[in-house]
Amino acid sequence: MAKINDGIRILQGLLVFGNVIIGMCGIALTAECIFFVSDPHGLYPLLEATENDDIYAAAWIGIFVGFALFALSILGIVGVIKSNRTLLMVYIILMLITYAFEMASCITAATHQDFLTPNLFLKQMLERYNKSDTDNNNDKWMTEGVTKTWNKLMLQNQCCGVRGPSDWQEYTSAFRVTHNDADFPWPRNCCVMDAQGSPVNLDGCKLGVPGYYNSNGCYDAISGPMNTHAWGVAWFGFAILCWTFCVLLGTMFYWSRIDD
Amino acid sequence: FNTSVEPGTPESAFQRFPTHVPAYMTLNTTILNYPCPKTPGGITVLRVGSETSCAGDETRPTCNGPLPGPGPYRVKFLALADSKPLVETAWSDPITLRSAQPFSSIAAMGSRHSAGMIALTSILSILLAILLAGLVAMLVWGSDACSGSSTFNKPEAVTVRRYNTHHAYDQPAARL
Repeated sequence: MAKINDGIRILQGLLVFGNVIIGMCGIALTAECIFFVSDPHGLYPLLEATENDDIYAAAWIGIFVGFALFALSILGIVGVIKSNRTLLMVYIILMLITYAFEMASCITAATHQDFLTPNLFLKQMLERYNKSDTDNNNDKWMTEGVTKTWNKLMLQNQCCGVRGPSDWQEYTSAFRVTHNDADFPWPRNCCVMDAQGSPVNLDGCKLGVPGYYNSNGCYDAISGPMNTHAWGVAWFGFAILCWTFCVLLGTMFYWSRIDD
Repeated sequence: FNTSVEPGTPESAFQRFPTHVPAYMTLNTTILNYPCPKTPGGITVLRVGSETSCAGDETRPTCNGPLPGPGPYRVKFLALADSKPLVETAWSDPITLRSAQPFSSIAAMGSRHSAGMIALTSILSILLAILLAGLVAMLVWGSDACSGSSTFNKPEAVTVRRYNTHHAYDQPAARL
């Protein structure tokens, strides 16, 4: 019976275990990124109108990277068990390429998250909500997206504006151009609605009487899902990359110690 | 402003304010709307400028139309009996209306890079650099003949000794 060094057995076992973890994390990353791309909260039109939707690009990259990690982990397990130098070399090269892509995705998501501030959404809301004169088709598409999203947001979350209804009073807006201050101090959707979708007390809403209008801002309802999205992609990817780093170093060491 | 001016006349008409008349009368109501004791509930606020439909209608001089400019304005209350002033309050302090800033003045782009993003970028870059260095080292040194004790895969040469068992030889016939 051939006597095999215990040390190499342990290293093989560790590498197989490491690759199993990578495979499972790859599936998890794919599932998570598909969830984010599907936009369950309907906030994508707001990002699209900022003309900088890098978080979605990072999530798309995450889908493909997760699947690649799963496939490569299987290749790695086969290569380690068979102790085949060619297979392991292919594995290492492809893993490095996947590593680079995932690194790009994480950095993009983390950088873009800093870009999403209350002022950004405030300016966009004032500029585009209910804008009547649009320049071209692209502008019209983005304006309609922003208007529909804000109407839905204000109705579902019982909120008004980014920081509050005073946003509509402190700044001029595209909304103010078509709706005068006397009739519409803030949009109708800021009023508390009854079951039929009409304001409970329109005069009370226009006056700003507590109980008849939504006095809190919508920023929490926007930033909550977006921050979860960005953090999920950036930091889970970072954790996967740290683990992959260790497994790759072990595989390189293993490769240099076998010969065929 | 002479408070003996009757409401509903051109001298107190909203439409002629502020160019022709110094003040206008509006929000007229009857004593029935101010019962004693006060009915609970209800909104006890009067909003100046609520009616936009009659703002240009000369037939509605007591229209509660939107104020024409940023101000400042003064207000007073007047109680009339048979269209003659009975009691009145003093003129209020000057009230200036709020003016809205243009939305283009909002600074939307000032974002600082957070500490987390800087840490993530630098750590990942360092890890990638180590991996690439490891790959180079692996290719340069790993391909040489490996040091003797580390050829793990070849099984050790096993020699089988032949044992001479005594029944392997042709035995001469046992001698007596």
